[in-house]
Parts: sequence; C-alpha cells; structure tokens
Amino acid sequence: MRLNRLFSSIVLLLLCVDVVAGDRMSDSTNVFAPSLSQYEKNVIRYQKHWAALIPSQFVIQNAGNMGVVSLGCGWDYGKHNQWETQVLLGYIPKHQSARGKLTMTVKENFLPWSIELKRGWSVQPLQASVYLNTVYGHEFWKTQPSRYPDSYYDFMSTKFRLNAAVGQRITYQIPAKARKMSKSVSFFYEISSCDLYIRSKIMDSSVSLTDILGLSIGVKFQTF
Amino acid sequence: MKSRFVRCLLAALTLAGLTACDDLFDTHPYDVDFGGETDINAKNIRKIERDFTDKDTLCIAFISDTHGWYKDAKDEVADINKRNDIDFVIHCGDLTDTGTKKEYEWSREILSDLKYPYVALIGNHDYLGTGNEAYEVMYGKVDFAFIAGRVKFVCLNTNATEYDYMAAVPNFDFMEEQMKKDSLNFDRTVIVMHAAPYSDQFNNNVAKSFRRYIDFFPNLMCCVYGHDHENTERRIYGDTLKFYGVDCAEHRNYRLMTITPDGYEIEQIVF
Repeated sequence: MRLNRLFSSIVLLLLCVDVVAGDRMSDSTNVFAPSLSQYEKNVIRYQKHWAALIPSQFVIQNAGNMGVVSLGCGWDYGKHNQWETQVLLGYIPKHQSARGKLTMTVKENFLPWSIELKRGWSVQPLQASVYLNTVYGHEFWKTQPSRYPDSYYDFMSTKFRLNAAVGQRITYQIPAKARKMSKSVSFFYEISSCDLYIRSKIMDSSVSLTDILGLSIGVKFQTF
Repeated sequence: MKSRFVRCLLAALTLAGLTACDDLFDTHPYDVDFGGETDINAKNIRKIERDFTDKDTLCIAFISDTHGWYKDAKDEVADINKRNDIDFVIHCGDLTDTGTKKEYEWSREILSDLKYPYVALIGNHDYLGTGNEAYEVMYGKVDFAFIAGRVKFVCLNTNATEYDYMAAVPNFDFMEEQMKKDSLNFDRTVIVMHAAPYSDQFNNNVAKSFRRYIDFFPNLMCCVYGHDHENTERRIYGDTLKFYGVDCAEHRNYRLMTITPDGYEIEQIVF
C-alpha cells in the first residue's frame, strides 16, 4: 500500500512537470494576447499544455539495478532546471535464467549546483537521485500473493525496487552552429544501492558498504 | 551526421563493455548471472561419496536458516572448522533472505570457508524473485540424495507454498526412485527437508500420505528440518519417527549428528 502511495506521488510529480513547463512558456503567449480571439487563446493554451509533455532530454545509462543498459527520456524543470524526471526502459539479459527481462524506471534527479567552465563546459558537482524500478515477469509480485499466510513476506515486493543514488555530471554546451538534435550533452556517473541491499546492511553490519553499492555511467542529450 | 552516429555507437559500446566488469556494475538484484563456483551440491556429493563410502561412523553438522545473519553464519562456519570430528555439513535451507544475486554470493562466500564438504537445500526465502533459478545454478536440483557410510541422505524440497501447491512438492516420484536406486549400497535412510510437515510451507493435504510413503525407505532413522528457527525434537505424527529441528544462525547453535552402526546420537552445539 505504501508503494501505491509512492506511485501516485510520482504521477502527481509528472503532472507538475506539465504545469511548470507550461508556466515557462506563458510570457511569450501574452505578447500576442490582445489580437487573439478567445478560440485562438484556447488553442494556444491547449497546445502549450500538450507541448509540455514533449521530452526535453534523452538518456542512456548502464547498470544501476535497472538492467544491463537502460534508455529513456525525461523532462527538466525548476528555476534553474535543477530537477529532472526521467522514464527509462531497461533490459536484463537471460544469462543463466529462463529468459531476458524488461524493467521500467521512474527516476527523479536533483542537481543543486552547476559550475561554468571554459569553452562551453560545465560541471554539476552533485546529482542526487531516487528511482523506482519495476521488473516484468510472472515470478515477480507487487505484494505477497494470497497463497501466503498474512504478513509472510510483508517487508518486501519482488517487483518494485526503490533505489537511491549520488553522482556527478559534466556537460558540454554544443555551439549553436554545430547543433543537430541536441543543445548539450552530459556525461555522468552515479553510485547507487537499492532497498533490499540497504536492508541487508542494516540487518547485519558485517555486510560492507562496497558490497551494496554499484556504479552506473551514462550519457544525457538535452534537446531543448 | 555520420560522426555523430559513430560517437553514439562508441558510447553505447563503451557502456556495454564496462558492464561486463561484474562487481562494479549491478545489473539487477534478480539478475541470474553467476561467476565463481556453481553446481556446488553435485561437486561436494562426489567428494562425500568418494571419501565416506565405507566409513562406519559418520559425523554430520546440520546448520540452517543463515539468511541475513552473515556475521553469525561466519561464526558458525568458524566453530565447525574448529572441530576435527566432522565429515560433512548439511545446510537445511534459507541461504538468502530475499533471493537476490548478491545474497547468494555473500552466502556462498561464507559457506565456501567450510573446511568440510557441504550441501545446501533450498528454503522458502531462496525462492523469492528469481531465487530458485539462482539456487539451481549455484547448488543444483531442489531434490537430491547421496550415500555416505551406507546411509542414504534424501534431501527433499518441501516448499510447496512457493509453487502455490501446483508442483510435485514433495516429489513422490523422486522419493520412489531413491528408495530403489543404489539399494545395495545403503541400509538406512535419513530424510532432510527445509519445512517440516504441518508447517506453513508443506503441502499439508499430503502430510499423512507423506508419512506413510517415507516408511518405504529402508530403515528410516529420523528426519531433520529447518525453517522454524528452533532447536527442537518432535514426534510430529505422534508415532516413533523423530523430527529434529535445526535452529537459525542468529540463535547461534547447530546440531551435530553422529551415526554409528548401532544407531545415532544428536546433540546441540552452541557457539
């Protein structure tokens, strides 16, 4: 049930993206406002809201308990675009199991600082993230199935994993003339762990920190 | 445009290449991808059957439910290694708490320090997610048996709830096969399982048939189980057959069984 609440807050968050991105565009529409009919204004507002759903960035990253590699798109918002919400699809190869598996992740990034360097480069010294990963397959359940006695595996879901990560990022602003699809490209790494591993560490202090942490690296293309 | 494509391709290839470095990158908790030792039960059974075929006295350490208590499990292994009288070790299941890849690896790392050969049964916790697939890679089949000192040890998967009672658990065909297989090489039988009859994991609809069926094993001595986190001695069916419960690692004790030609003794070792 707690997961349900988490999921609905993520949906709410996605709705906020729409609203915030909509605000950003409102200045430009006001300029034309006097000469527009009510109908035109409505259409512009309508288009503006739907346009906010166009992803502003694309991301590819490996590992991070989301699969061997994950691809996704995202939206940035906030006063300094310091917030990002990303949706990623990942793939876990078959390896020694019965088959490969797909995963989906909703990821929230917070980048409080950006330091400008020379020649279009900038550094984001902190990237803090939380993300919820779900893995598809009949062997995974959201909450314990009814075959189990009450509160048997109440502490967990095998389907949803809550992860936390911290990392850093370096961004290159592509010169306006050289731009094709992206205005900037960022390279990042992050160190992450998931709820089950953190739980293991809390249950038994002999589990070392390096045992529960994993590295992930990736590239982000900012379209606009 | 072309160079851009090449750059993207290079980035993707680098990512894929780096992912090959196993320990640094975590693919997923339920990724079944094990390096290191696999098929452990079969390897150790070969050692046990080679070294103890004709031994008339056997000493077996029974441990169980080490899930999540890695420090206690390490101490348990160290305590067993201190002794010189043990022939082999049987882990009665629940090697992991949530069946993840990392937990299986941590557990294997601890148990591999045992100086005696060991076999491990699958516990209900070991099923979570892709845990049962991980178990089969790392340890082998969920039902297995071996002979040492003319005693057959029949290790049965009894976690029926994990299959929603839809699988052959306990596997009567396997039992029937083992009653006859190599019958010239054993005279007595010990049955080991994770969850005992009438527990929340056993298929209790067949608990009574199970009791009747195991009587077909030649000279059934006793049953040993884990799951309950309790060091107990019970007559579950109210008859002469004894069931010995093996405690969890957190309670810091295990059982030692000494089998002689005349019978057996079982004691609790606290560490």
